[in-house]
Amino acid sequence: MSLKDIISPFYAWKRAFEKPYTIKDPVNRKAADLYRGFHTNDIEKCIGCGSCEEICQNEAIDMVEVAELVATKGNSGLKPLIDYGRCCWCALCVDICPTTSLGMSNDYTWLSEDPEVYRFVPGIDELPWANESEKGYKRGDESWLVNGEREKMPEQEADERKNTFDEFQDGYTDEQAIIEANRCLDCGICVQACPTHMDIPQYIKAIRDGKLDEGLRIMFQTNPMVEACGRICTAKCETVCAVGHEGKPIAIRWLKRYIGDKTYDRKDEIIDLKPKPASGKKVGIIGGGPAGLTAAYYLRTLGHDAVIYEMHDKLGGMLKWGIPDYRLPADVLQREIDYIIRQDVEVKYNTKVGKDIMLEDIHKENDAVFVCIGAQLGTEMPIEGLDTEGVLSGVGFLEKIGKGERPDLGKDVVVVGGGNTAMDCCRSSVRLGSDVKVVYRRTEKEMPADEIEIIEAKEEGVDIQILTSPVKIEKKDGRLAIECIKMELGEPDKSGRRRPEPVKGSEYTIIADTCIMAVGQKVEPEIMKDLDIKLTRWGTFEVNTDTLKSNQDTIYAGGDCETGPDDAIRAIAAGKKAAYFIDKQFKG
Amino acid sequence: MKDMIERLASKFNIKDINEHKSNQVFFTAEKIDIEGVILYLKEFEKYDQLTMISCVDYIEDGKFQLTYLLRNYDLNNDACIRVYIDRENPTMTSINELWAAARVYERELKEMFGIDFPGCPRVDDPFVLEGWDTIPPMRKDFDTKKYSEETYFPREGRTKKDPTEQMAEKMYPVEEEVKKSITKVFRDNSK
Repeated sequence: MSLKDIISPFYAWKRAFEKPYTIKDPVNRKAADLYRGFHTNDIEKCIGCGSCEEICQNEAIDMVEVAELVATKGNSGLKPLIDYGRCCWCALCVDICPTTSLGMSNDYTWLSEDPEVYRFVPGIDELPWANESEKGYKRGDESWLVNGEREKMPEQEADERKNTFDEFQDGYTDEQAIIEANRCLDCGICVQACPTHMDIPQYIKAIRDGKLDEGLRIMFQTNPMVEACGRICTAKCETVCAVGHEGKPIAIRWLKRYIGDKTYDRKDEIIDLKPKPASGKKVGIIGGGPAGLTAAYYLRTLGHDAVIYEMHDKLGGMLKWGIPDYRLPADVLQREIDYIIRQDVEVKYNTKVGKDIMLEDIHKENDAVFVCIGAQLGTEMPIEGLDTEGVLSGVGFLEKIGKGERPDLGKDVVVVGGGNTAMDCCRSSVRLGSDVKVVYRRTEKEMPADEIEIIEAKEEGVDIQILTSPVKIEKKDGRLAIECIKMELGEPDKSGRRRPEPVKGSEYTIIADTCIMAVGQKVEPEIMKDLDIKLTRWGTFEVNTDTLKSNQDTIYAGGDCETGPDDAIRAIAAGKKAAYFIDKQFKG
Repeated sequence: MKDMIERLASKFNIKDINEHKSNQVFFTAEKIDIEGVILYLKEFEKYDQLTMISCVDYIEDGKFQLTYLLRNYDLNNDACIRVYIDRENPTMTSINELWAAARVYERELKEMFGIDFPGCPRVDDPFVLEGWDTIPPMRKDFDTKKYSEETYFPREGRTKKDPTEQMAEKMYPVEEEVKKSITKVFRDNSK
């Protein structure tokens, strides 16, 4: 043994009187500000999309029901329960969170002998320790695992497209569709918002997997009019998209269109529908719009015969007569309708109920009737001069456009209204070469038209005059003098929108050659008054909203004639529902 | 630091030189030269400390990238040497005889990426993962979620809900019944 061996243990004593490096109370020691500790969740922001659960590599997160929180539009009401026996604090859940509700505090020490307390719902369960939510790890924009930018639809510029009724959007390329599909979180919050509850995440996944045939089948489970919807759907799904909270929502409609574009010429082969054995039952469908066509398709699938009574010489309803070609080309709509008709659907064209055939006859000839005549009558404003030459109704004008007519509207056109019909009218007028003004009595925020329609109309040079309402129209020097009054917004009305009130003495006159009134549509129920079907006070058919059955046994009604003017997808949902409940009634 | 790189480049084949900071330079060396480069930097350029050895799995290129971080305290700068090795049967020269500290890093790399360092003492002993019986966990083809599912049993009574199904059940049960039924009929009678 050397001297060194004996002395060396005493070296340790040389620091005996120095300040120690260790901490006296390690349990209550504060962590660094950015430390990743126990989670925090801002319940106001959390939409219960479950992306945190999905990404967790340790299966530490379960989405659970929480007392008093219910599912609402765009929010499942579920909240993440985190098991800290599994959590590895990697923060992937924070980095994926589309709303930034989930974060981490910098609290990480917490002692308890009860292992159950280490499983809790952040933001809901009361914790026996202080949770300093300002500190800890929060996701920044740069660490978001989702691409918030939407793929841009290849389309013509406004200057080019405003001269033609041709479609101005080309559809996504293969590459773009994959990029856009990859942005989807697969959470399914959107499914509720779709009136027919399409399996949106599943068909987007089919795009990611390159299985477009399967994508088409998935779409047809709930909607046989995917090509039309891929172009003109109001896409309520996109308004609740989880990614839309912090970025741009997934272009669900364009992805739907992509599948439709890539599969339409092989549709019969891909779907290869073989209806159930014939039931011998026959259903009369009054109106060949989206509701009627959908009902016919699913009734055929269920093995029943379907016969459509159509007042025009072509099917499609408002898709055909209400939507101009630049949004939905006639040949695209026609090939989609042709496919449905090929499933042995009988069509009686040029047959208007109440004129060419009575409802009672249809009722007698068929085992059930589905009424889906739409809301195609333009409503009129209570103002003077509506019968002046040059004043048109929006639906009447669009029907002419749909028939291929290109009327001369003169140099200046005024469109009255703020809905999608008004937008279709003003943009069609631009394409006929006119200078167009839209007058709307509320502000742009209250306009019922889709935001993108308003934006695109403005790009095409439409001048939108808000808080303006016409009061009188008269002929002056061969042109129309439209007297307008300025409005201001008062108290909110029943619809929740603030009621416009006229500003005294603010009258002024707009000179135009044509005035198109697109202020609403209504149902024409009088055509079937030979059977006593109950109506609501708005003149729509009154039905059991669960089953769409009217007060008459075996007569069902759905679509715009039941809901009042609405969009195609809601009509499609009604058609599907009617088919189901009619089938159910047949089975007894 | 520029001079150091010039001297080094005259002796060894180095490329992709980038100065991330004024006192930190990264460059790529040949796998065969690694012992020589490190020995040279240690003995002639006074890089006294091995700060760490790290690894990135470039699965798409079939390569691992090893990065050796050396420090020169006198000049207050870092030399970071990148080396690419094959992902198939990855083997690397051990530098444990230059720095004993390398043993810890090499043992860790063996466990986390499966890179062998023949001659490194106790390189095959577990580092932190006792009883690990599948592919090394830091390799990109290691499926963490699958491993969790297979290894850790679910807690008794554990339940979870799917957001889409929850919304269907609570908000539109009738429409969900319609959808499920029509979907089934459609699926049974189409391709």
